[in-house]
Amino acid sequence: MSNPDQPERKNECPNQRECMEMLQLIVDGEASPEQKEHFLMHHLEECMPCYRNYHLEVTLRELLKNKCTGQAPQELIDSIRAKVIPIDGR
Amino acid sequence: MELDESPKQQYSDKEKENIFNGEFMPHINSMYNFAYRLTLDQDDSKDLVQDTYLKAYRFIDSFQKGTNAKAWLFRILKNSFINDYRKKSKEPSKVDYQEVESYYNSEEVDRQITPDLRVEALKDMIGDEISNALNALDVDFRTVIILCDLEGFKYDEMAKILDIPIGTVRSRLHRARNLLKEKLSEYAKQMGYKNA
Repeated sequence: MSNPDQPERKNECPNQRECMEMLQLIVDGEASPEQKEHFLMHHLEECMPCYRNYHLEVTLRELLKNKCTGQAPQELIDSIRAKVIPIDGR
Repeated sequence: MELDESPKQQYSDKEKENIFNGEFMPHINSMYNFAYRLTLDQDDSKDLVQDTYLKAYRFIDSFQKGTNAKAWLFRILKNSFINDYRKKSKEPSKVDYQEVESYYNSEEVDRQITPDLRVEALKDMIGDEISNALNALDVDFRTVIILCDLEGFKYDEMAKILDIPIGTVRSRLHRARNLLKEKLSEYAKQMGYKNA
């Protein structure tokens, strides 16, 4: 059930604070399998704010990974290798 | 001190080279990225990464082969940044963590609504918005996002890298993400998302 406009989802979350904490544990890979199952399989199906927040968090992380990582310049790699090898005595 | 707490190893030159090339150098991109996001300056980040690798090599006997090299290197880099770069840069003073903790523990968190940012608005940010928003955060908030969201460190690893309790890692992450979403929400409004 992936339609975000499922009529059965409630528009208010009764446990907003606990859910925000659980959501953070889940996206950070720190939740237990039981916690994940309850939140992802059951709670998200009935709670619109948490459903939206979850997808927002997942999207944000994907974007961060794609947009905010890069490669070290080759000159830096070469320079480190050149400086370390002499220490090595060769 | 990060470099003298583990038991001393006695590696041969060959072993040192293997560790350096096999366990340290594979993290060069992550290390460079971390340094760049901390200093926000290309030359400083190159210096910082180079210093860190030279230090790691010099103290390689305090690294235990097969343990978490990435966390070990990140910790050295973070400490070098604090000792050598932060004091000379014009970074604003440290966040008042007391304030952060009490914020996190207060009822304000319940009332505080997650910045009303939509996935659709986020997906339209194809330029530098995300990167700029991250760079605009205070360095301590920026750091936890980098470690967790970009590099995938676990809470206990972050606690060791940053020398802070796990509870502080969690509260700092929570606050950092809200600040990031607030920033992005501002960008989304500028992009014309009325309800972003």
